[in-house]
Amino acid sequence: MFDSVEKVEQSLGGQGYICDQKIATVVFLASKLEKPVLVEGPAGVGKTELAKVVAAATGRQLIRLQCYEGLDEAKALYEWEYSKQLLYTQILKEKFTAVMAGSDSIRDAAERVGREDSVFFSYNFIVPRPLLNAITSDSPALLLVDEVDKSDPEFEAFLLEVLSDFQVTVPELGTIEAKRRPLVFLTSNNAREMSDALKRRCLHLYIDYPSEELEVRILQTKVPDAGQQLIEDLVKMMHRLRELDLKKVPSISETLDWARALLALNASELEEELVNQTFNVILKYEGDVRKAQAELSKLLEQKTGEAQAQSASASQAPRPAAVKKGALH
Amino acid sequence: MQKKILEFTNILRKSGIRVSTAEALDAFTALEELSIEQRGIFKDALRTTMVKRGEEVPTFDQLFDLFWSGFYDNLREAMGQAAGGLQAFGLDLDELLQRIAEALRGQQGELGELSDLARALLTGDLSQLEQMIREAAAQAGTDRIENFLQVGFFSRRTVDQMNLEGAGEELRDLASRLEQAGLSPEEIQALRSLIEGLMEAARRAVRAYTERELQQQNHDYMEKFRRETLLEKSFYHLTEEEIRRMREVVERLAQKIRNILSIRRRRRKRGKLDLHQTLRRNMSHGGIPFELVFKHRKKDRPKLVILCDVSSSVANVSRFMLQFVYSLQEAFTKIRSFVFVAELGEVTQLFQEDEINEAIEEALEGGDVINVYTRSNFGYAFHHFWQNHLSAIDKKTTVLILGDARNNYNDPRAWCLRDIHNKAKNVVWLNPESPSAWGFGDSVMDKYLPYADIAEECRNLRQLSSVIDRLVL
Repeated sequence: MFDSVEKVEQSLGGQGYICDQKIATVVFLASKLEKPVLVEGPAGVGKTELAKVVAAATGRQLIRLQCYEGLDEAKALYEWEYSKQLLYTQILKEKFTAVMAGSDSIRDAAERVGREDSVFFSYNFIVPRPLLNAITSDSPALLLVDEVDKSDPEFEAFLLEVLSDFQVTVPELGTIEAKRRPLVFLTSNNAREMSDALKRRCLHLYIDYPSEELEVRILQTKVPDAGQQLIEDLVKMMHRLRELDLKKVPSISETLDWARALLALNASELEEELVNQTFNVILKYEGDVRKAQAELSKLLEQKTGEAQAQSASASQAPRPAAVKKGALH
Repeated sequence: MQKKILEFTNILRKSGIRVSTAEALDAFTALEELSIEQRGIFKDALRTTMVKRGEEVPTFDQLFDLFWSGFYDNLREAMGQAAGGLQAFGLDLDELLQRIAEALRGQQGELGELSDLARALLTGDLSQLEQMIREAAAQAGTDRIENFLQVGFFSRRTVDQMNLEGAGEELRDLASRLEQAGLSPEEIQALRSLIEGLMEAARRAVRAYTERELQQQNHDYMEKFRRETLLEKSFYHLTEEEIRRMREVVERLAQKIRNILSIRRRRRKRGKLDLHQTLRRNMSHGGIPFELVFKHRKKDRPKLVILCDVSSSVANVSRFMLQFVYSLQEAFTKIRSFVFVAELGEVTQLFQEDEINEAIEEALEGGDVINVYTRSNFGYAFHHFWQNHLSAIDKKTTVLILGDARNNYNDPRAWCLRDIHNKAKNVVWLNPESPSAWGFGDSVMDKYLPYADIAEECRNLRQLSSVIDRLVL
């Protein structure tokens, strides 16, 4: 496990996940206090990724539970394997006859069968689902409950038992306690406010869009082939776009996609035409693209204005080689 | 430290951030694991254990800065300035202190004989000073401060409580004694100006502390006040900022509806064992029921038809209503939205395709949908609906009408609404005017009233949300 907050930052960095101190502190505390973490934030800022890299960095087995509307106990916790039970009854028919042999009344026969019913409600007939898997796993595990806000409110209720006591109650079997406490990460896009009971049991982490400096570092790690100039231009542009009133604000994952797309097009810096052509990589709505284009031309006007002023004031000095007309810096 | 954290917890609670005891305990355990030397980590640890809502983070940040640093930093700065004044005399604090200690050596009345406060001031012991101010302020009852006019009063009380002037006297005495003890006139002058500087810094620190206390007390109050008034405030008068915040509240409301719907869908799934289907499905297994089939409850999919008045008399209200309609449309699949002044126009498509603000602007002012610059005529609109869209209504449909029923003395044609009422599951009318005004002047609400299953005044968010609660669409 981790010794200090710095260690967390380093080992996550080793997995290619650049994070700030805020995230590292929470991860560190989660591992020390053995508390679940509720990660909130806009889509695409790396919430799920965080859980994955923590699993990789700590060598834990990742058990993922993807939530959706209508997810229920049978899909999340455990399910009785009905057909297997039935199959066994069929196979063991002979035995039953033997057990019941000599019973003189139906009541007596039923009692005899009843004595055996723990056979059918045992571990053998349980299909474990992610939550139960995480609890019973022999190796240390990391349970990722992804997009928990998509689940129904009542699903939260039985998450609570798992999250606070790391145990699962199966009525027929009793309470199953965790052999090794799993690390738990819950992610949420805030489509729905989670209940206070759930929040109280978790550490809370809000991941926002990264600062420019952090995003540059992320790009450098994730898309090492991209030039410094391109990366800086990109990040600046993205930060501007995020200030616009867009329907779907582009996130880190979009920045990465864009960088890769531009790299594939052999771009070394942002140029108007190129940007216009590739806007659809980061913006998913027609209206957003239009808004972004308007912003882009505004930005370009401003930049060329500045560049002209600069060249006028420093007409003697040689112009920096990289400055092209219409290029973004 | 623990005491301070508890105090901070209390302040958070006062500001409307719910921090449970368990969460405060988490904060303590968290801090045991960390070195609290680094401010950033300390802050993150407190935040992650105590603040669980994204929108509470700014409040937390603000309070954290107020509570943990602002004061201490100010104090350090002020004291630093006072000590920096020494440079004018070519001395620094350490040198001077050393000189004083030398001059006093062997004489009666060493530094140790000064009061705690005087010594803390002279040696620049910030944490000691901070604690003394804190204690004095607590004794002076500064936490009961209510408004800005009391800052002076409580500052004075705090200063008296800690006997700051007494400490000043002590220091001045010390300076005179040192003069006799043979310090050079320059040094004495430097010391005197240092003392005055320190006194001033301490006084200012007390005042700053009092002001900070006021802010903390008020923070919660203001925040609560703002939220409450927003809920109560009539849609008619809202500022830009309020409209933005209102949007969030409307969004929350719509979310609530979505949740209700989601629960319903789940209930629908559970049904009794369908014996017929189970037997049939398992014929191939020789009648042994391997696969179970359950009866599904009938799908109860609510349908909604919304008629929204967008005439100028309800301009501000209708903006919200449309916002609400837009959010509803995201939650329901079977919904048709119409706007009207006199003409009736359907905006279902528009709301599906466009982004919320654009869509609303379009519906209100675009002119493509309907002419909004005429006088409202509910009768005409209802008749139009009756002629063209009556087929959209069946016995599962709820018709939601948003409008003030100010008909400009036109024919109300209430029979159209009667027919709609007869076909629909129910008709809900939300009116921004209070019931006492219904039927007066050009209001024809009384004519329509018999055909509305629910008619409610809906002038602010509180009313809107209470209507939603009862509607269970």
